[in-house]
Amino acid sequence: MMALSKALLRVAAVTCLASPSLGADTYTLPPYSPAYEPRTLDERGLWMEADVHEKRLAGSPMRIRDDHLSQYVRDVLCRTVGSDRCGGVRVYIVDIPAFNATMMPNGAMSVWSGLLLRVRSEAELGAVLGHEFAHFELRHSLLGFQNRRSNSDLAAWIQVLGAIAQRDVSDTQLSIVGSVYRFNREQEKQADLLGLKYLKSSPYPSRSASEVWQHLMEEADATAAGRMIRKKHQYSAGFFDTHPTELNRADYLLEEALKFNDPGEAGAKEHYKAVEKYLPRFLSSQIRLNDFGGTEYIVSGIAGHTGWTGALLQARADMYVSRGNVRDLITATTLYLNAIDSGYQRPEIYRGLGLGLIKLGRNDDGRKYLKLYLENVPDAQDKKMIQLYIDDAGGE
Amino acid sequence: MPKLGRLFVAFCFAIAATMVSAQEKTGIKQGFQLQPGTARILLLEPSVRVGSQSTGGLFEPNADWTEQAKNNLERELSEVQGRLGNRVDRHELDGSSASAKLHDYNALFGAVASSVIEYQFFLGNRLPSKKKDKNEFSWSVGPGLKDVPALKGYDYILMIRTKDAFGSAGRKLLQIAAAFGGVGVTAGEHIGMAGLIDIRTGELVWLNADLQMGGDVRTTEGAVKRVSQLLEGFPGRGVQ
Repeated sequence: MMALSKALLRVAAVTCLASPSLGADTYTLPPYSPAYEPRTLDERGLWMEADVHEKRLAGSPMRIRDDHLSQYVRDVLCRTVGSDRCGGVRVYIVDIPAFNATMMPNGAMSVWSGLLLRVRSEAELGAVLGHEFAHFELRHSLLGFQNRRSNSDLAAWIQVLGAIAQRDVSDTQLSIVGSVYRFNREQEKQADLLGLKYLKSSPYPSRSASEVWQHLMEEADATAAGRMIRKKHQYSAGFFDTHPTELNRADYLLEEALKFNDPGEAGAKEHYKAVEKYLPRFLSSQIRLNDFGGTEYIVSGIAGHTGWTGALLQARADMYVSRGNVRDLITATTLYLNAIDSGYQRPEIYRGLGLGLIKLGRNDDGRKYLKLYLENVPDAQDKKMIQLYIDDAGGE
Repeated sequence: MPKLGRLFVAFCFAIAATMVSAQEKTGIKQGFQLQPGTARILLLEPSVRVGSQSTGGLFEPNADWTEQAKNNLERELSEVQGRLGNRVDRHELDGSSASAKLHDYNALFGAVASSVIEYQFFLGNRLPSKKKDKNEFSWSVGPGLKDVPALKGYDYILMIRTKDAFGSAGRKLLQIAAAFGGVGVTAGEHIGMAGLIDIRTGELVWLNADLQMGGDVRTTEGAVKRVSQLLEGFPGRGVQ
């Protein structure tokens, strides 16, 4: 296997940061330079460790090894950052039901399934992928490491000197810790803004970047409402926050996007077509998180683009079954039957329907559907449990 | 970023008092014996990390040193493999889906070994159930190990991990300055462990852990010393 650190990687030779407030020529991307090999001690060390992590990620059982899905994500990345830049990036899709993507210092990117579920268009996906690539281009891992090292060195000296001088240095220590987190937040903002510049140069509208954060805020509100807690969105980040707040990000991303004023095709239809096959799997993982409000928001958001497909109806019904109030079971039964009527017949629907009906006390109907489920999936993992329900209901 | 959480903890305990107790310990499952020539052992790709320790205690990975150390250790291990009393094969943990389960188990081995070190071997945070009986050593990764296809035909897994952080000049300077203030600062960290896992039952039958390993792994002689320390007391070594 080719040593990963020797893989052909192209990184722009820009070492300084492009700030959008400098003059008229600030919307063009820095020039591009081919095949980059790290040379300094720190960077080579980081790439070596990243190579080890990448091997682990590549062999991980959490990885979704679907060629079409991977190709789709690569295509969106290439359309966003340009084919020069995307050439050396390796994209790994992992089955984690949360909104996130990560970038390693050696050019390996991981995309979580929760991200693919939440973004509503190619442009929104491109905004996040572009942000991650911006971390790579700006060498944030290296700079972050050097910053943490300098700060921890300073803190160690202050602690020792404070001990010698018999002085209380805890305030200074605290402010050093704060500066590390602040540095990280600054890096995230820089990545956001460079990601926006990628979007500007791409066929996608740059306003989509802000929309990603707006949707996340709305989802957080829905989650909080579902759990009956109050949640307020803040502009300023907390002491230990590694990222700026969602509200802050949505705000400055929208402000910059309005300056760019670039319309484009967001590609919502294309996105849902690409993830269609995996939607049931992503949704069932999301439902298992036991977040009724947030899941309802996500499912309704998808339905707004694709209409209430059978898969979405099933997901909605599963949500209600999982919450499990008696009135929820009635709702779920209706939704399952609607899904079946729409032509979407899956064994999981029969199972959900059967269990719901039995819990409502309609044993004959429930048993009928559970038997249908077992007929369709004779080697089901939960066969014994379902059989128990059938026998139990039949015996009454 | 998980690194920042660790950093905060490191800040709080940046200057830790040096541990006074013994730094090397071996655990073996009660009554475990391995007769030479009876088993096939699979050596998982050893984890080798070599770098510097910054003034503040951060690990700075060094690509050159790690590569030297890897080469030296692998060379020494392949020499020693023949003298361990049983046949030992090496397995490379690659990115294929066949290795997927092994990646999982490799991480689990590390977690179990860390637990042994933290909660049984060394003074400071030992669990009552693990220290009441001197010969107590029952740790397991569960029965699923025998179903991993890549392990067919093997009886035991041997895992080896070492991490070396050579104290930087700044760290040594801090150590001297701290001594004036009566504060103890350690410079350099050399830890390693070697473990043997029974594939059929998933039990950790032997673990050797050393928090102050000897030998400079960047040199050939150092690697020889390191490997001999790692495999000290390896069961079933036979008559030397």
